[in-house]
Amino acid sequence: MKADSNKFPELNKTKFENRGKEFKLGIPVTNAITIGNSIAVGFGDGTVRIFRSGQISEPIKAHSGVVLSISKDGEDILTGGDDGRFLKISLDGEIKEIANFGSRWVDHVTAYNGSLVCTSGNIVYLWMPNKKEPKLLEHESTIGGVAFDSKGRRLAVSRYGGVTLWKKDYSNKWSSSNLIWKGSHNKVIFSTDDRFLVTSMQENQLHFWRLKDKTDSFMSGYGAKVKSFAFVYDSKFLVTSGSNEAICWPFDGNGPEGRKPICLPYVGNKLVTFVEPFPNENAIFTGLSDGSVFLSEIEKSTNTIIIRSFTESEVTTIAVTEDCSSILIGDIGGNILWTSIWDEEEK
Amino acid sequence: MGETNKQVPVTVLTGFLGAGKTTLLNRILTEQHGKKYAVIVNEFGEQGIDNDLVVDADEEVFEMNNGCICCTVRGDLIRILSGLMKRADKLDAIIVETTGLADPAPVAQTFFVDQDVADRTKLDAIVTVADAVHLSTQLSDHHEAEEQVAFADVVLLNKIDLVDESRLDAVKERIKKINPFAKIIHTTKCGVSLSEILNLDAFNLKRILDTEPDFLTSDHDHEHDDDVTSLSFVSDTPLDMEKFQDWFSKLLQTKGQDILRTKGILDFTGENDRYVFQGVHMLMDASPMGKWPEGKERNSRLVFIGRNLESMNLKEGFENCKSA
Repeated sequence: MKADSNKFPELNKTKFENRGKEFKLGIPVTNAITIGNSIAVGFGDGTVRIFRSGQISEPIKAHSGVVLSISKDGEDILTGGDDGRFLKISLDGEIKEIANFGSRWVDHVTAYNGSLVCTSGNIVYLWMPNKKEPKLLEHESTIGGVAFDSKGRRLAVSRYGGVTLWKKDYSNKWSSSNLIWKGSHNKVIFSTDDRFLVTSMQENQLHFWRLKDKTDSFMSGYGAKVKSFAFVYDSKFLVTSGSNEAICWPFDGNGPEGRKPICLPYVGNKLVTFVEPFPNENAIFTGLSDGSVFLSEIEKSTNTIIIRSFTESEVTTIAVTEDCSSILIGDIGGNILWTSIWDEEEK
Repeated sequence: MGETNKQVPVTVLTGFLGAGKTTLLNRILTEQHGKKYAVIVNEFGEQGIDNDLVVDADEEVFEMNNGCICCTVRGDLIRILSGLMKRADKLDAIIVETTGLADPAPVAQTFFVDQDVADRTKLDAIVTVADAVHLSTQLSDHHEAEEQVAFADVVLLNKIDLVDESRLDAVKERIKKINPFAKIIHTTKCGVSLSEILNLDAFNLKRILDTEPDFLTSDHDHEHDDDVTSLSFVSDTPLDMEKFQDWFSKLLQTKGQDILRTKGILDFTGENDRYVFQGVHMLMDASPMGKWPEGKERNSRLVFIGRNLESMNLKEGFENCKSA
C-alpha cells in the first residue's frame, strides 16, 4: 500500500472513454452549444474552443473573464461574458462584438432566426434581424433567464416575483403580461410543445405554468438548487438536476400536478449537476458532482450505462452532436471527454 | 459550511453617506498589493489597477419564499459570487460595497442561506466606515447608520483630524454602546493598512474564542426604545442545554427582527466541550469548539445587539436556563 491512501484507486475506464478523446485543460468548463456536428465550449478564462470529430480548435480569446452564457444564431456562436461583452463568433474563430456594457455583466444570451437577445442587469436587449439598434425591454429586477418559444413569437423573461411573457404581434410590436409567483426565478424554458413554462427558483424547487389557462404549481423535494433542467424531445418528461437522482416529471396531458416523478438513481449517490436529453428518445445523459456521466432510459431505469467514470470534478456541461453520433462532456476541473455514442457495429 | 481552504473571503464594506467609503475603495483599487481582488460596487465608475476586477451591481434584496420576513438575501450577490467562482484565475478576496442607506443584514444572511455561496465563499468581516464628525447625528436620525455600526466587526472611524479629543471619546463611547465587539480603528482619509480590514475571519466561530470580546455584564441606562443597544450576560453556573435551546430558539423566532446580532460561548451541564454560536437576526451558526482549556474558569457568556432589548426579559430568560 502506498502512503498516498487518500487517492481513489484507478478504476477501469469505460468503453466510451477508451474509444474517445480526453482533454485535460485545467480550465473550468462553463457551458457548451451544439452547432451541427461541432460543439463550441465556453471556459472560465473567457476562451471558447470548438470541438469537431474529436479534434480541438485553438482557443478563441472571446472574453477577459468568464463565458457566462452561450447560444447560437444559425452557424454562429453567441456568448455573453463578465467583461460586459456580447459577442458573435464564427466557427472559424472570427469575433464580432455586438454590444459592450463595461463592468455590467452579460448574463444571458439567446437567439431566434436572426433575432439576437442578451440581458444585462434588468434589461433585455433585442436586436431584430438586420437592425443596428436594439430594442430595450426593461424589468423591475435583474433577469434570471430568457427563452424564446419554438416559433420565436414569445420571449419569457424570468426575474424576482415571476416571469414577464413578451409577445410579438404580426406588426412586430412587443407587449407583455406577467406570470406571478413569489420568490426569485432563475433559468426559464418553454416545453418543446410550447404548452408549459418552467423556471428554477432560488429555493430548491421549480415552478411551472400551463400557458393555455395560466394555472401554475411547483415541483419541490430537491436537496439542492435545480440548475440544470430540460424537456425531452416530445415534452413527455422534464428532466432535472438538484437531487441524488435524476428527477423526471411527467408533462404529458395536463402536466405533473398530482403525479409522481420518475426518479433515476445512480451508483455513488452523488448530486446530479447536469442533465441533457438524448435527442428523439425518452432517455437522458446525467452528469454528477463526482464527474461521472450515465445514460438512462427514463421509463426503464434498469437500462442505465456508464459513459464516463469519475474525475472528482462536477459535470458542468453535456452536449450531443446534431447527427447524434458523438457526445462531449465537460467539468469544473477542465476535463473534457469527446466520444462516439455508438459502437462500430451499432452504427 | 464546506471546505474552508477553498472558500474565498468576502469583506462587506458599509458606511453612511459621505463617511469615506469611496476613498477607501479607491485606496484598495490603487494600492500595489499584488493580490487579485474583485470589488463589487454600486455605480462607482472607477476602474481597478493592479489586476483588480470591478463589478457593477444593483442591490437587490430578495425575500426567501419561506414566509420568514427575516430571511432576506441579496439576489445580486448570489448571482455575482456564483459567476466569480467560475473564473479560471483564483481571487484572493472579494469586497462588496453597499450603498450608504443599506441594511447589512441581507448581505450577511446571504452567506447563511445560499448553499452555493456558503460552499465557495465565506463572509470574512463587515467593515463600517464612520465619519467622526457626523456619526452621532446620523445615529440619532437614521436606523441604517445604527444598523451599520451594530453589524460591524471593524469600525473605521474616519476624519478624526476634524474633531477634538472629547468629541472623539464621545463618538467611541456611542459606538461601544451599540456594538461592544467592534474593533475601532482611527483614520484620516481612510489611511489604514489593508491587512487590518481584509482576511480577518471574523465570522469564524473559532475567532469568537480567540478574540474573547468584551463580555462584561452591561447595565445600560434606558435609551429610546428603538435605539440599538447591546446587553451581555455572564453565568458561572452551567446552563441546561434543553432549557437554553428552548428559550433561545423561541426568542429568535419571536424577536429575531429586533435582535440584530448575537454571539456567545456556552457551558452546558454534562458537556465537556465549549459551545460557540453567532447569529444574524433569526439565522444562527453554532458548534461545539473543543474542550474547555485546563485551569481556565468555565462560564457562559452571551451578548445581544438589537432594538427593544429591554422589553425581552433577557436577563430573566437567561437566568432560567441555569441548571438547578
